[in-house]
Amino acid sequence: MPHDLNYYLATLAVYFLIYCVLTLGLNITFGMAGIFDFSYITFMAIGAYFAGVAVLPPSNVPGLQWILGLNLGFPIDLLIGALAAGVFGLLIGLVAIRRIRSDYLAMVLVAVWTITWSVTSTTIGLFNGQQGLIGVPQPFEAQLGVNPNDYVFVFIPIAAAALAILFAIAYCVERSPFGRALRATREDQDVAAAFGKRTVRLRLTAMVIGCVYAGVAGALTIEFLSAMSPNAWAIIETVIIFSALIVGGRGNVFGAVLGALLVRILIIEGTGLLPTLPDHPELIGATRNILIGLLVIVVLYFRPQGVIPERRRRYFESRKPAADPSSEVTKGG
Amino acid sequence: MAEPLLSVTDVVHAYGGVQAVNGCTFEVPEGVICGLIGPNGAGKTTLVDVVAGALHLQRGSVRYAGADVGGWPPDRLARAGLIRTFQLSREFRQLTVLENLLVAATGRIDESLVGALFRRRQIAVAERALVKEARGLLEIFGLDALRNDPAETLSGGQKRLLELARAVMAHPRLLLLDEPMAGINPALMGLLEAHIRRLNSEGITFLMVEHNLGVVDRMCEPVVVMAEGKALAVGSMADHRASDAVVTAYLGRGRPA
Repeated sequence: MPHDLNYYLATLAVYFLIYCVLTLGLNITFGMAGIFDFSYITFMAIGAYFAGVAVLPPSNVPGLQWILGLNLGFPIDLLIGALAAGVFGLLIGLVAIRRIRSDYLAMVLVAVWTITWSVTSTTIGLFNGQQGLIGVPQPFEAQLGVNPNDYVFVFIPIAAAALAILFAIAYCVERSPFGRALRATREDQDVAAAFGKRTVRLRLTAMVIGCVYAGVAGALTIEFLSAMSPNAWAIIETVIIFSALIVGGRGNVFGAVLGALLVRILIIEGTGLLPTLPDHPELIGATRNILIGLLVIVVLYFRPQGVIPERRRRYFESRKPAADPSSEVTKGG
Repeated sequence: MAEPLLSVTDVVHAYGGVQAVNGCTFEVPEGVICGLIGPNGAGKTTLVDVVAGALHLQRGSVRYAGADVGGWPPDRLARAGLIRTFQLSREFRQLTVLENLLVAATGRIDESLVGALFRRRQIAVAERALVKEARGLLEIFGLDALRNDPAETLSGGQKRLLELARAVMAHPRLLLLDEPMAGINPALMGLLEAHIRRLNSEGITFLMVEHNLGVVDRMCEPVVVMAEGKALAVGSMADHRASDAVVTAYLGRGRPA
């Protein structure tokens, strides 16, 4: 295979792995706990920025400014990014989730994005304003001394390892009594409370887990691309992650992964291959959003639970009732 | 004399200017099936909501199991064994029938995130026991064949049964039933009645809002009559039928109740 194609596919693989982290996190916050976290992409950005300023040296050039500048390396920067996103999510949640429910909560979280985005893009001294952070060193870049064109092959195992851990956690959560309690609060908070659930604590935990996932995805993004700016986390990005999850199947870890594949790779990368028309530079972006919208409509119409719906778990029962003739009879009757 | 399991004293709850519950006082001794009857708008459901912590206690006091529980949130009351059902069935729609029961077993299985990640073996052991108990209950209520179906697919009557089975799974000490017989056919009514009697004989105390006076007559002693936000009278149905005040407020004249 020619090197260019290898490079392209490897880059796609990294985008896919990172996007899986995003959809898996939102699957816990929205898919399982039912929280309409319309500020989700904000926590990706927080993770990215904090990971960035953890790796970057202190800024000393006028017009190119950021806070901290800790000169740390991988993976501490990633942990700092995840922690920052989690703490920010906890603070937002403590105010919003404790006091507000469902629809209004979604509005408040949109406002959280708006405020964070405006402050970040207009405050130079925070994360270098509209231009954003650039030139963030990549993990092991200096130690390995690889050709920049081959670096993507170094990064795949890093992203894959992060995803493997986060997938395993999401998988355990989905199949645990904790996950079941989250789904119960999603269905009806009052009834869940009437059966002794600490619903605020459960929802807050789900929100923070999602934020940490988003933070990890953000940290991986800035580590891979070396840059992060407000253009990368417009509000539409949150909508697209929601779309991916709804298409793939909310409440199911495999649905989250499938959604990342369909939306991030098939549609977003697929439309990227369209020829650019000289007079219509916006065409690709518009096509992308139209296709995502169409996909959501089609899936909601024909398969409202998503392509891979939430698992209807059987507890301590054989998966294959056909193996047992007696249960075959009851099945028929 | 032992303190009653539940004492409601001068409880007040107003929605805006409407005094739904207006100085209501009565007691429920442990071990009884206490009926709560009264005309529509008498404040019965509001009272149940206040006792269960779903509505704020504006004035008065509620004592349960020897503690002043006025102002406790519903989840804390539930963990103390005070469980309620709802006037309209409110199942966890997309959870399976079996999961609806498992969720009710708060405190008997580790529901923390840390547990989900690091105590999976202990959880599996606890879960096996809970599933066994839940399936036993579903068997009794005739729902075991539907255990793996989403609760939203059940019929109205089956949802009523699920509502009661789920409440029992919570191991209640006091169970508040808000119109358990509403919209139920006579055969199912007999079945629910038998279940409630059996659970009562197993030690659960009931406070039951019910409009079907035949059911109340057969099952409940004492019976609290509410009217205009107050407990008008407490006694047996026979007492109430002999009382002018109760007959005027609720039972009506000229026909046998």
